Amino acid sequence: MIQHFPVLAVMGMFLGAFLIEIFGSKNAAVRNAISFITFTVVAGLVYALVKPIIIDGGVIAYWMGNWEPVAGYAIGIGYEVDALGLVFAIIAITAFWISNLYSFGYMKGEHHLGHYYTLFMMLCGSILGFCMTGDLFNMYIMVEIMTFSAVALTGFITEKDGALEAALKYLVLCSLGSGFILTGIALIYLQCHTLNIAQLASMLSGGLTPTTLLAFALTVAGFGVKSFMVPFHTPLADAHAVAPSPISMVLSGVVTKAGVYGMIRCIYIMFRAMDLTQMQIIITAFGAVTMFVGVSMALAQHDFKRLLAFHSISQVGYIITAAGLGTALGLTGGIFHAMNHMLFKGLLFLAAGAVLHQTGGVTNLDKLGGLSKRMPHTTVCFLFGAAAISGLPPFNGFASKWLIYQAAYTKAAETGNFYYLIITITALVVSVMTLASFVKIAQAVFFGQLSEENKDVKEAPAIMLVPMYILAALCLLTGIFYRPIAADFILPAVRSAVDVVKYIDVMMGEGYAAAAGVYNMAVSNVMVSSWSPIVYLILFVTVFIAAFIVILGSKSDRGATVEVDPKNAMKHSNFFSGEEAVYSHVGGSDMLWGYKYDFKPYYRVMEELHSGRVTDYCNMVVIATAIIVVFMFMFMR
Amino acid sequence: MTILRYLFYILVFPGALFTIAVGLFMAGIDRKVIAHMQKRVGPPLRQPMYDFFKLLGKETIIPAKANRAAFLAAPVLSFVSLCFIMLFIPIFGFTAINGAADMIVILYLVTIPGAALIIGGASSGSPFASIGISREMVTMMAYELPFVLVLLTVAKKVGGDQLVFNLSLVSDYQAVNGSLLSHWSMIPAALAMLLVIPAEVGTQPFDVAEAENEICEGPLVEYSGSPLALFKLSINMKMIIMTGLFTSMFLGGIRTGFVALDALLFVIICIAVMLVSITTIHAVTARLKIEHLFKFYWTVVAGLALVSTILVWIGM
Repeated sequence: MIQHFPVLAVMGMFLGAFLIEIFGSKNAAVRNAISFITFTVVAGLVYALVKPIIIDGGVIAYWMGNWEPVAGYAIGIGYEVDALGLVFAIIAITAFWISNLYSFGYMKGEHHLGHYYTLFMMLCGSILGFCMTGDLFNMYIMVEIMTFSAVALTGFITEKDGALEAALKYLVLCSLGSGFILTGIALIYLQCHTLNIAQLASMLSGGLTPTTLLAFALTVAGFGVKSFMVPFHTPLADAHAVAPSPISMVLSGVVTKAGVYGMIRCIYIMFRAMDLTQMQIIITAFGAVTMFVGVSMALAQHDFKRLLAFHSISQVGYIITAAGLGTALGLTGGIFHAMNHMLFKGLLFLAAGAVLHQTGGVTNLDKLGGLSKRMPHTTVCFLFGAAAISGLPPFNGFASKWLIYQAAYTKAAETGNFYYLIITITALVVSVMTLASFVKIAQAVFFGQLSEENKDVKEAPAIMLVPMYILAALCLLTGIFYRPIAADFILPAVRSAVDVVKYIDVMMGEGYAAAAGVYNMAVSNVMVSSWSPIVYLILFVTVFIAAFIVILGSKSDRGATVEVDPKNAMKHSNFFSGEEAVYSHVGGSDMLWGYKYDFKPYYRVMEELHSGRVTDYCNMVVIATAIIVVFMFMFMR
Repeated sequence: MTILRYLFYILVFPGALFTIAVGLFMAGIDRKVIAHMQKRVGPPLRQPMYDFFKLLGKETIIPAKANRAAFLAAPVLSFVSLCFIMLFIPIFGFTAINGAADMIVILYLVTIPGAALIIGGASSGSPFASIGISREMVTMMAYELPFVLVLLTVAKKVGGDQLVFNLSLVSDYQAVNGSLLSHWSMIPAALAMLLVIPAEVGTQPFDVAEAENEICEGPLVEYSGSPLALFKLSINMKMIIMTGLFTSMFLGGIRTGFVALDALLFVIICIAVMLVSITTIHAVTARLKIEHLFKFYWTVVAGLALVSTILVWIGM
């Protein structure tokens, strides 16, 4: 029975999409009921796979229509779910479930909501299929469904400024990526006459011919476009700025991760090339550049959601760097960070969405301010998310980043290669720059002074707050209990990513891999660890209790909660050089001066690169792909 | 019994009480020595303590525009996290909570007081505070790069091709091989660290965030009474923590066998480090501009640290 679950999950999602289109386009209650039930059932199906796959360490293989391999050649489409795919599927379904709940509140009142939920569920179904399939061409189809539903959802609110433009940019760039993937698949099919990943893995392990090497380079580049690593990142910022917030959440939390997953699947399993030093160098190089460019661009943004979008890019850089190190510790950190990024970035996008929803669509960092007094719950959630993404202990972002630092530094120390030390330093410095940009948001949006226009802003409705609190709690819990999560949930995924032999044998029959001479890459299986989050839990609780006592204990006849006696107005107003205080909010553009001044030459270059023209962006994609191809042909023959 | 021991660690030694007492004492010495350098008499050594208790007794005014909860919670967060950090820094052979934190964790923990100051300043609703937090954040970004370089250099020097981020092991290494400062390749890194300390503590010439005569103490402008006392105390506690970190990284290795004697020596060395890195620099310089500060740290100080990193990396 359990082997049907992966297919049922994917089909259930698509079925729900059709049902909504048929029954739910008019009636909101029916629509919400169908989507909620579908997401819950599918989540149940996916979570039911945890026991056989992650806990027992099995792999589920499923041949569509029972078309089993004939004479060692795969004919039909096979689904194969190992722990790696399942972890990403769980990340996806969790994000979608929460995002769907949030959509009920956020999208209320928009037009054509039937289409919205249909596309939303198609997106979810395609990503689940992408993570669970064992067939290369099926993977491509899922990528296409994913791309097109993501494009449609990005431009869903068409009357919004720039929505269609952003969707177009997204479409053009991602089609280029899909083109690369398709070309790669065609070349592979030309050489190997099969599309089954397990069989390909055994065929390609003998060494790459020039054709398969080109295919490899193109697939890596194609999945790079899908994961929006620099320099393929350009459409993402526009897309996030205009997309509805629940869509931003899944775009950054899941869709970019799908690209990363594709890359891991490709490099670790299909081409089994991760033990090559050159492969590690080029992937970590792209990852490190992605980290730095993402965060430095984020520091210069004036739009709440655009800033978060650049952080998605930066955090995906962490994941790619970690996965590119080619060590068990690195991959653990990378996959863990992928999960954590979904949690905290989702939280941040939902908080941004709450602000946008309640202020009537303002996301300009220079026009908001002081909202913490009007939206206290959103502020608390935002601060949790900001602390998590900046990697402050005991939140989850710290746990995974800390694994990544250790992995990068271990790599540097073991190989004696100065290059990996630079990677470690980049990762550490990017982290504090992340903190800086969230300080900027905190000041520009939640703290500071409340402007006249936002005087009557209300707290977001409960249906939007509940998903935010769920995510905030998860951010804290996964940080405190990082050890069991890393050891029992992430590590099985890492093991399955390096266990190619098992992946092949389950799909193609016992002994197939041995006959083809496939062996697993050697990875050290260590968990270096000298960090006890319980200590920070104590710290956190102590701070919480102390702060609580202080806040409650301070006499309530002072401060903001009571009407200030007009005679004492001066005493309780802000200091303004002895004058009467006027509205003087320090907005986002005024922040971090000094840093911006010193980085001016850098930003001048960046401004030229981010011209906003699709042709320029396409050029960047083509040039970067050419670099990858040339690099591989020069160093990996 | 374990709980009592940990309570003792957190509340008395080397946690709250020890850090507060030594911090205030060091601040007193700092002020006195600066006064002498500038041919003044200076306040008595106990003046920072008097200031602290005086502030505790004053009325706490919360501005009408402030976010009350964040405004009051921030100084507490700063204070409590600083009490904790000292537990992870080895006092020569003695580390209160060993194995629970490594250099990277400490690197992150010392940003928490800064983050707390930023939240407090931002929540006060004052434009002066907003400018102050912006500068504080840029200062944090500025010293982070050299700080990271120094930590990784120490790790490489001690660990070789092993991953050693644990500060106790750094201390043990120095007990065998002599203090790291006596290895000439580490001297540039030590100099860089000496320059990181005043920026982290926020003393002249790196006190742009709190520049009294430009932006009225920046993030602290609206604070009064006991929250202000806690923030002022945090600054003093940072002195012992940062100089303590320097001591355990570069001047560790002393083993007398008695914790009390070790602690006494530790404090004396910390004061010496403070006199070099905080007091002297404070007395002879004027405040930098924020863009100069950022440039200074990312070029000169990071360059110094990088020299060490490269030297250590090629096996010197």
